[in-house]
Amino acid sequence: MQRALSSFSFAPAVKVRLINAGFHSAADLSDFRPAQLSKEAGISQEEAEDVLQAVQSEPSQGRAVASRLTALDLLEREQALGSIVTFCSDLDCVLGGGVPVGKTMEICGAPGVGKTQLCIQLAVDVQIPVCFGGLGGQAVYIDTEGGFFVQRAADLAQAAVDHCSLLAEDAEQREALKEFTVETILSNLFLFRCHDYVELLAEIYLLPNFLAQHPEVRLVVIDSIASPFRRDFEDLFERTRLLSGLALRLFKMAVQHSTAVVLTNQMTTKIVNGQSKLVPALGESWGHAAAQRLILHWEGQQRLASLCKSPTYKEATVPYQITGDGFRDVARPCLPGPSSDPPASALGNARKRPRLEEDVRETSLRSTPEPVLSAASSFHTTVLSWSRTGGSRRGHFLCCSSRQTVGETQGDHE
Amino acid sequence: MAMDWEQLEVNPRIISAAKKANLKAARDILSLSGADLQRLTRLSLCDVQILQTAVAAVYRKAPLITALQLYQGGCPTLEPGHRLSLGCPVLDGLLRGGVPLSGITELAGESGVGKTQIGLQLCLSVQFPQEHGGLGAGAVYICTEDTFPIKRLRQLITQQARLRPELPAELVHSIRFSDNVYIEHTADLAALQACVSQRLPILLSRGLVRLVVLDSVAALFRCEFQADETMERARHLLALASSLQSLSHSFQTPVLCINQVTDIVGSDPARCSYGLVDARVLPALGMVWANQVLVRLMLQRLEGQSEAAGYGGVPRKLEVVFAPHLPRASCLCSVSEEGVKGLQSPEPSHPQALELGVQ
Repeated sequence: MQRALSSFSFAPAVKVRLINAGFHSAADLSDFRPAQLSKEAGISQEEAEDVLQAVQSEPSQGRAVASRLTALDLLEREQALGSIVTFCSDLDCVLGGGVPVGKTMEICGAPGVGKTQLCIQLAVDVQIPVCFGGLGGQAVYIDTEGGFFVQRAADLAQAAVDHCSLLAEDAEQREALKEFTVETILSNLFLFRCHDYVELLAEIYLLPNFLAQHPEVRLVVIDSIASPFRRDFEDLFERTRLLSGLALRLFKMAVQHSTAVVLTNQMTTKIVNGQSKLVPALGESWGHAAAQRLILHWEGQQRLASLCKSPTYKEATVPYQITGDGFRDVARPCLPGPSSDPPASALGNARKRPRLEEDVRETSLRSTPEPVLSAASSFHTTVLSWSRTGGSRRGHFLCCSSRQTVGETQGDHE
Repeated sequence: MAMDWEQLEVNPRIISAAKKANLKAARDILSLSGADLQRLTRLSLCDVQILQTAVAAVYRKAPLITALQLYQGGCPTLEPGHRLSLGCPVLDGLLRGGVPLSGITELAGESGVGKTQIGLQLCLSVQFPQEHGGLGAGAVYICTEDTFPIKRLRQLITQQARLRPELPAELVHSIRFSDNVYIEHTADLAALQACVSQRLPILLSRGLVRLVVLDSVAALFRCEFQADETMERARHLLALASSLQSLSHSFQTPVLCINQVTDIVGSDPARCSYGLVDARVLPALGMVWANQVLVRLMLQRLEGQSEAAGYGGVPRKLEVVFAPHLPRASCLCSVSEEGVKGLQSPEPSHPQALELGVQ
């Protein structure tokens, strides 16, 4: 109750009156009734009621409670939130299990490189039932470019359903599969279309209420943030101001409603020292907006995903491909001999083996990918071989989606 | 858009504060930060949030929908599911039904490869009723680089029954094709902008037209700007793309932009090859334009193959460079007297797509 009144979000005039009347901290108001306060401070009865209500509800507003969290609490909380698998195990490794829930991530890339595909993939994958190692959540998709084709979403949903039905083994999973159909996936994908930046701003103002009504939403996609803000803007200062306000709102939303917020951004040509190069659009200051930044780009015929900014994980580049089924690993050529049919022991290792960042980097930076059974074996091969050997089907999701603490990881490694 | 205060469901005290602060448009209220709005209206933060949310609720036009509603055809205005047919089942197969109704579809290729032929063919196929892949309306053809090939259009009209043998002959003969193609010649950028911002909305709002072909988008932008005016060029290009997109969205009208190509010279780190490694040319106008395009198609001449006889001679390859709903694929096609026809079922051109069996 020692909080200064000036730090409350009252109207400025009310604040001035309160302070002039000699009220400085929340404790000063503790014994007052609205009528009394209104008389003392010369504010209206209604304003006095608002002030007292705000002051009395202050301790439960989280500031004090949140400050008592230890780093361990935060770590546990973050792990409990989990992450959304991308269906590209290389990329999942780089991201530490997938796109983290409760954080913001920006995906940049040239047109056609697969930004929208990754977004639709995530919107499907966030719905994978919990018993398969998924999150069983819902998704909000804000489409500003008209790039969301429901036909395509249905393709990816069908592929995800087929994939999970290959993995299903026990009764719980078979039960979950009855609910996990293309229809339910599509019905849990809420779509908003915005055509200009004001509509997008309006949508963002309304989203917290929507998220409060739909607590199952674990993913908010804005595809793309760039297009409404790159047209019809003469005043770049105004744009920067709006964008940074938007970034703050999205960040707040990600934390309060435990959702992953994924934004896509376009690329633009920038001339640096007489050399032109491709950089993410919307300017330097926007670079701070999202906690993580993933750049998708081409190298020859190969699509590559580079994690460029992340508070938690190392920068790395991994290949991926867009198939009829969606966003996937690049199929690696199988080695002749023993590794062509992965024995159960190798798979056991694959599950146990910790995904240290060094491994990821080592495998990912290789220009000609070699079959690395543990981390890098392709999604499809992994699935097929698991169903053959009858090992734990959860293996893939578990090792990709659960983020082990450092201690555990090292213990396993030894 | 002026604010309609009557619609707002908030305390009249908040409304009068907002009126007093001289806030008129929803745009202003939504784009001001909370602190600024608080300062202007002298309301508390809580009230300001209530105001902004209420304004946002009034401003939002599109209702919430789920993908399932779209999938089942519950919202024909948002996802019609219908595509504009190119008049050839093979080419339609490549594009999963045809050209999407909303958004810019680009067709790039070298000169003389047959881009205009596809544009003309679409101008005719759009006139068929919806059950035959059309939209039952006419087309606007905007020429920027050459005069409209009227002779070729007449030839295509007379050959229409041969191109579409699957349609009833009386239907093909009953449509007066040439009455429904509106031709516009714009020789400079100002004329093009006037056409797109004034004349097109009139034609579209009367329902006379459900297709816009711009042939070509590159010509004016390539000749009207100097090398050092890239910023200016980008601004105009974005403005054009933005007005075409909004027309396309609001009238569910496909926009086909024909684009020139540019040679690949040397290595430029800023060039994006879109994974086309063996290409000698790339679509013109760079990244600024590419970002505005929903579906990018490329038409190429296949050198060294000349067994196909007829009008065009050498077979062409129509390739999907990118599209949110299509795999990277291509098909061979021929340009003949009756029009552009696909030669075989689409085969994946990308080695990675091969293993998936793209349909």
